[in-house]
Amino acid sequence: MMFIQLRHHVKVGGCAFYLGLLILSSSVIADVQFTNRTDEQTFNHQYTGEWEFFVGGGIATFDCNNDNYPDLFVAGGSSPAKLLINESHKTKNNALHFSHQRQKSTNLKSVTGAYPLDIDGDGILDLAVLRVGENILLKGEGNCKFSRANEHWGFDGEDKWTTAFSATYTSAQETKRNEPILAFGNYVDRKNDKGPFGTCDTNSINRFTNGKFDKSIILKPSYCTLSMLFSDWNRDGYADLRVSNDRHYYVHDGEEQLWKMLKKPRLYTEEEGWKSFKIWGMGIASRDITGDGMPDYLLTSMSDQKFQILEDYAGQPSYKDGAYKRGMTAHRPYFGNEGRPSTAWHAEFGDVNNDGFDDLFIAKGNVEQMPDAAMKDPNNLLIQNKEGKFTEVGQQAGIADTGKSRGATLSDLNQDGKLDLVVINRRVDMQIYENTSTKIGNWIAIKVHQKGSNTRAVGAWIELQANGKIHHREITVGGGHAGGSAVANHFGVGDVKQIKFRVTWPDGEESKWHTKEVNQIIVFKRK
Amino acid sequence: MKKILTLIMTAALSMLVALPAMAKDAIVGVSWSNFQEERWKTDEAAIKKVLEAGGAKYISADAQSSPAKQLTDIESLISRGATAIIVLAQDSAAIGPAVEKATQEGIPVVGYDRLIENKDAYYITFDNVEVGRMQARAVLAAKPEGNYVFIKGSASDPNADFLHAGQLEVLKEAMDAGKIKNVGEAYTDGWVPANAQKNMEQILTKNDNKVDAVVASNDGMAGGVVAALASQGMVVPVSGQDGDHAALNRVALGTQTVSVWKDARALGAQAAKIALALAKGTAMDKIEGSVKFSGGPKKVEMNATFLAPVPITQDKLSTVIDAGWVKKDVVCKGVKAGSVAACK
Repeated sequence: MMFIQLRHHVKVGGCAFYLGLLILSSSVIADVQFTNRTDEQTFNHQYTGEWEFFVGGGIATFDCNNDNYPDLFVAGGSSPAKLLINESHKTKNNALHFSHQRQKSTNLKSVTGAYPLDIDGDGILDLAVLRVGENILLKGEGNCKFSRANEHWGFDGEDKWTTAFSATYTSAQETKRNEPILAFGNYVDRKNDKGPFGTCDTNSINRFTNGKFDKSIILKPSYCTLSMLFSDWNRDGYADLRVSNDRHYYVHDGEEQLWKMLKKPRLYTEEEGWKSFKIWGMGIASRDITGDGMPDYLLTSMSDQKFQILEDYAGQPSYKDGAYKRGMTAHRPYFGNEGRPSTAWHAEFGDVNNDGFDDLFIAKGNVEQMPDAAMKDPNNLLIQNKEGKFTEVGQQAGIADTGKSRGATLSDLNQDGKLDLVVINRRVDMQIYENTSTKIGNWIAIKVHQKGSNTRAVGAWIELQANGKIHHREITVGGGHAGGSAVANHFGVGDVKQIKFRVTWPDGEESKWHTKEVNQIIVFKRK
Repeated sequence: MKKILTLIMTAALSMLVALPAMAKDAIVGVSWSNFQEERWKTDEAAIKKVLEAGGAKYISADAQSSPAKQLTDIESLISRGATAIIVLAQDSAAIGPAVEKATQEGIPVVGYDRLIENKDAYYITFDNVEVGRMQARAVLAAKPEGNYVFIKGSASDPNADFLHAGQLEVLKEAMDAGKIKNVGEAYTDGWVPANAQKNMEQILTKNDNKVDAVVASNDGMAGGVVAALASQGMVVPVSGQDGDHAALNRVALGTQTVSVWKDARALGAQAAKIALALAKGTAMDKIEGSVKFSGGPKKVEMNATFLAPVPITQDKLSTVIDAGWVKKDVVCKGVKAGSVAACK
């Protein structure tokens, strides 16, 4: 038995992975296995409520008590949100186990989603909590204690129907300090009597300067946003804001958007290469899947998912759709015979079999009773092969829930090197799935930290060399459906035993290449 | 040089051979959005029948609800030699590139049932606003004055509002004159009959049962409404649409006033005729009965054919029976002998 000593004295067994290598082959797909641990928990949780909670239901995944085990903050809609402390290390065999920690500041109703990030630069993760009603910023006090900080930070949470969030940090070139810029995406203006069709509310940007938030900047036009993501799509060192919008409510006058983040943000135009398209945009997952070093974006929708790949036009934000060719459309249920199209929400890339190729999870579920869409709409787990094609294994892997799923997290929750899965459902219990695959490859997880306000190095890129391939990973806050994570960056690496990595910090400085053994979690701190 | 000459000659020869063949053998390709849906099988049969009679070949593809697949489907219909293409779009906003490709190759495209807003495409559908008007007209004829209730479709479906707009258009005059009073209206979550019934029960309670007519937007919901009325021992004029078998039976029994029926066979047959004409070189604006349409979201002017739906009231029940849409014994189940002409 081999144990790897981690910084925080967590011991992780590593021998199983070496055993797996010997039979790592085409049978890998069938071998991805999740065990449902929902019934072993001492709580249950549902995302509930009427029309205003047809959307939302996100999860924030982050370690709030510094024990390396990611904790969860889960939206509840009309029911209170819950803070779930990860106690998997207390169970036999590290089985996934969470306990509900009641706390006035987190026991919030009308929550649609949440994202973890360090707002005040004190090194402790805070939470941006999205709500129908006032948005709330919770300051992390350490040891999973949180306090409302709207007043303290001069933040106006307004009274809107907030359904999307992303954050970036000002670059060192622009200001002395790297301070957060928060973007809030709002859905339908529920106070407009002419609604709900064609009455999208506006989105806004809130900049944090010297410990206080400035007056918000309004992003106009806005088109009923359900996901947004700051991402450095062209790797020029600056993140722009990608916004995915729901055509159901903007009806005709709207589209997907990419805001150029100037002091006064403006939309990229068709002249600049941006191609207008309309979807029922619900979620964004980003990852460099094509291997060209640029982020690709999976956009969830009804029927086809879109997979946006940057075209080779010099510097232009011109994207082509590669979903169909790669088998990523996931446009209708893969079992049952109703044939009606799917409705997709949270999506996340991650290598669930550690073969070195990122896989894709998509949460599915009818809005409520939409007659043109499938009612029994199972969640997807699409495994990527080395040719870049994706194959559905949801049913064999044991995650094919047909409840109305919304938010999710695909993260290594028990620190065994395998990505686990938690899915929030509307009016059906949240599902907790532990990745119990045995015949899978090696892995490494890297956490990055730096000094200054942007302690989690949002905007940094990790490059990791394994098997003659370089993985490019951007550290972002945002995307998904109403929830995101701030955890170690997990890489599956197949059968290699050693990898090399380096980090390009948000200000552009590159670290040296470092060589590391696989099957461990590394905390990489900037000098 | 010799090689080039040969090529030219070969090309000329093949043109000589191909031209008359093309004129004779039209190949109509149909790109279905999702053929797993039962209803399109009726349309397909009607299309095939017309094509067969016209000596044309039918080819088809099923996009299985994927707009991306539909784009490649249409490309493949083109490469299989289609001389006209009928498209039931899964996503009308995403179909553009395929229409452009077909147009570039001189292949006419007919947008079937769902609007493809492109000046080069032809559009054929039922007049959907007219459905709402027909519902209101039938109820108004039965009850020109009194307390009206509106059971609308799903709030999340824009069609619910289109239908309602047509209804109000017809009733506006009587409402403005105070002859008709709107005593309750409700959207129906998911168009589900049980939800319509629940809403109707609440409206009846609120109004002390003082309701004289109900404009319901489809037959399923009309069923819920009739059940709510029946539990109070009431029978008032009620509208619907779709020609549901149960609804047609209610029309015969007198518990529902009208079901507006869209005959899929008429739509399929007409689309096939148009495709054949276009394949033979008829210009889009020369298609018999074509009108100019620019009512799409982008206001693009197109050539279009709008088929009139048929309001099936008690005196028109023989229309659906004669058309083979429904069997007489289904329509006439429980009908008192001699009370309804179609049931004799």
